[in-house]
Amino acid sequence: MDSRRSDEQLLLAVAERDMGAFRALYERHAGWLAIRLARRCNDRDLVADAIQDTFVAVWQRPQGFRGDGDIAAWLWGIAIRRLVSRLRTPGGVAAVLGSAESAPAAEDQVLLSVEYGDIGQALARLSPEMRAVIQAVVLDGLTAREAAQLLHVPLSSVKTRLYRAKAHLRAALAEGSS
Amino acid sequence: MTGWHLDDDLLRRYAERTDSLAEGASAEQHLLSCGPCRARVNAAAGVIDVAAVWTRTQDTVEVPRPSVLERVLRVAGLPAHEARLVAVASAFRGAWLAGVATVLAFAGVAAAFGHARGMWLFLAVAPIVPCLVVASSYDPWLDVAFEPELVTPYPALRLVLLRTIAVLALALPLVLLFGLVVPGAAAFAWLLPATGFVAVVLAASTWVSPLRSACAVSAAWLAVIWLLAARSDAPEAVLQARAQAGFLILAAASFMIFLIRRRRLRQLRPWG
Amino acid sequence: MGTTSISLCDVGRTFGATRALAGVDLDLKPGVTGLLGPNGAGKTTLLRLLATALPPSRGQVSVLGLDPEVPAERTDIRRQLGYLPQEVGFPRGFTAFGFVDYIALLKEWTQPAARHAEVRRVLGLVGLSDLSTKRLRAMSGGQRRRVALAQALLGAPAALILDEPTAGVDPEQRVTLRTVLAEIARRSIVVLSTHQTEDVAALCERVIVLDRGLIRYDGPVTDLVAQAAGRVWLADDPDPAAAVSWRTGTGRYRNVGGRVRDGAEHVEPSLEDAYLLLRGGAPERQPTGELA
Repeated sequence: MDSRRSDEQLLLAVAERDMGAFRALYERHAGWLAIRLARRCNDRDLVADAIQDTFVAVWQRPQGFRGDGDIAAWLWGIAIRRLVSRLRTPGGVAAVLGSAESAPAAEDQVLLSVEYGDIGQALARLSPEMRAVIQAVVLDGLTAREAAQLLHVPLSSVKTRLYRAKAHLRAALAEGSS
Repeated sequence: MTGWHLDDDLLRRYAERTDSLAEGASAEQHLLSCGPCRARVNAAAGVIDVAAVWTRTQDTVEVPRPSVLERVLRVAGLPAHEARLVAVASAFRGAWLAGVATVLAFAGVAAAFGHARGMWLFLAVAPIVPCLVVASSYDPWLDVAFEPELVTPYPALRLVLLRTIAVLALALPLVLLFGLVVPGAAAFAWLLPATGFVAVVLAASTWVSPLRSACAVSAAWLAVIWLLAARSDAPEAVLQARAQAGFLILAAASFMIFLIRRRRLRQLRPWG
Repeated sequence: MGTTSISLCDVGRTFGATRALAGVDLDLKPGVTGLLGPNGAGKTTLLRLLATALPPSRGQVSVLGLDPEVPAERTDIRRQLGYLPQEVGFPRGFTAFGFVDYIALLKEWTQPAARHAEVRRVLGLVGLSDLSTKRLRAMSGGQRRRVALAQALLGAPAALILDEPTAGVDPEQRVTLRTVLAEIARRSIVVLSTHQTEDVAALCERVIVLDRGLIRYDGPVTDLVAQAAGRVWLADDPDPAAAVSWRTGTGRYRNVGGRVRDGAEHVEPSLEDAYLLLRGGAPERQPTGELA
């Protein structure tokens, strides 16, 4: 494991076609990216494919990173979009749907730290479907269209749920502060 | 960067997906900007076989993509590794083929316009194209990796023949296509001479370098055409049955010689 | 499998009027053998003969117990042989990985997974794992030489024939290569030609000195070095009685051979000294310093 170089340095080396740096980058990030993806999709093979696609994309376009923010965030952006691409196939849909009922708390995610107890509680009162939308759009930074693909719901549903979720949250916040 | 990090308990719950809503989200936000915690998460769970995915990723990135010709050969029934061997020959470089196509197009169009000169030009060029392309597919001068290639167990004869066939499969339709614009029997009369010349080059390659013999054959043919054209206006001389039969015999005899002397292909410098 | 040895019996090779090799007798066993000699001595021809790239004009060659004149046995030899020629050209558009993969195909590695793993292994041996996707045309001469060496190492051959493997390779990499070759030589026959006596001294147990197609010396390195014992000395000026002398980095002159003056400041001979002495022969002036 190459622990001397920063992620940025590794990425620069990858742009120079350095296989060793590419491997180091992979070993630093493939694990946690896979875990995070697996929390959105039960199908491990799809997750593996998405990870492969992610790193191939990094190799092919390392200059896609603009230097703003963490490389980890950039990598996550690529990874979630690659997962969405893979989920476009029929088999992928079931993987996400399955997650809705099963593991209770973990699958339904909510944004922001525990410091913001109000919102945490407010969001906890949202339905799973609402929470999934919030997670997809807010946490993962997906567009409404991409969220619709990930969750396999019509785009109009996503927009509706987003609207309602925001309304619900506003109400809860107003309640909390008064 | 605060001093806040994921404690072991939270990390375990995160990896096992038994954490709460808020915990999970806050963990993920933290991980986006904390390398050490990411490393701990990496070590935690085995969601995917990270090593296996690495091998696949490495393959995608390192292993050369098959060229169009390679894929065509695979579809044609050649095993994947042989398709690659055949496709790599220098004769299959785009620039080469483009050059060949241009020359033929020029000749074919000239012939189509009905000029007798055009006909002669086509008859001059079409038969020598296949032997030139075949020669370039395994000539040491063009095949720069020749010496290490030579000392490998792969049968040279098989490689030469496969490349010859592949090249002909490419070149012949091309020439035939252009030949179709040429009026009369000339459109096909070049086929037997072409076959004859390819066989001659194969046989000669057991003595001299293939490119050298291909150039010699081409020069000889051009000279013959020049002489015939100078003497008469009509190319019938070439199209006569006797001439065609002669080419057939030439082809058969040359190929026999090639097969008899094929051992020579395996040594460096059977040619100068 | 056959025996791990290569033997040449009264082997000669002529090209037209030129006699490149004349009456060479050789018996090689596992270990590293260095081949020294001036340009035109016949080193490359000898190596080509060993690698079955060339048949001898006369004499018998036996590689790993097999006869290269018999086509089936020749193919068998080539299955267990790795060869690095003096000059290797690289086809356009190849990466390091691509080229070694191509040669691996010719060496009958038909299964992709095994083949790719082997290609990565040999690229790792020569220190080019990180540069596997770099285009050969974009590489330095030394890096290309290492790629060419990598293809010779495919399949852990029983016989490894290397023509100037360290040419153009920087000192650090040469040390790595020496380690790799030493490891291989524990079970395989390794023959390498070089102009660098340090490589031979560091790596080879046995050295063969070739000159104008004939073997001038064939034996342990230590014995050759011992021949120069007491015949190498330092002085502040070049000694006219020496066979060869040159200015060293310290500003003093190293003198080899010829008539040794009494009370001269003797030093331990190096392989280079012994080689020059062998080549120098009679105490005449020779071009200084260079291994011609």
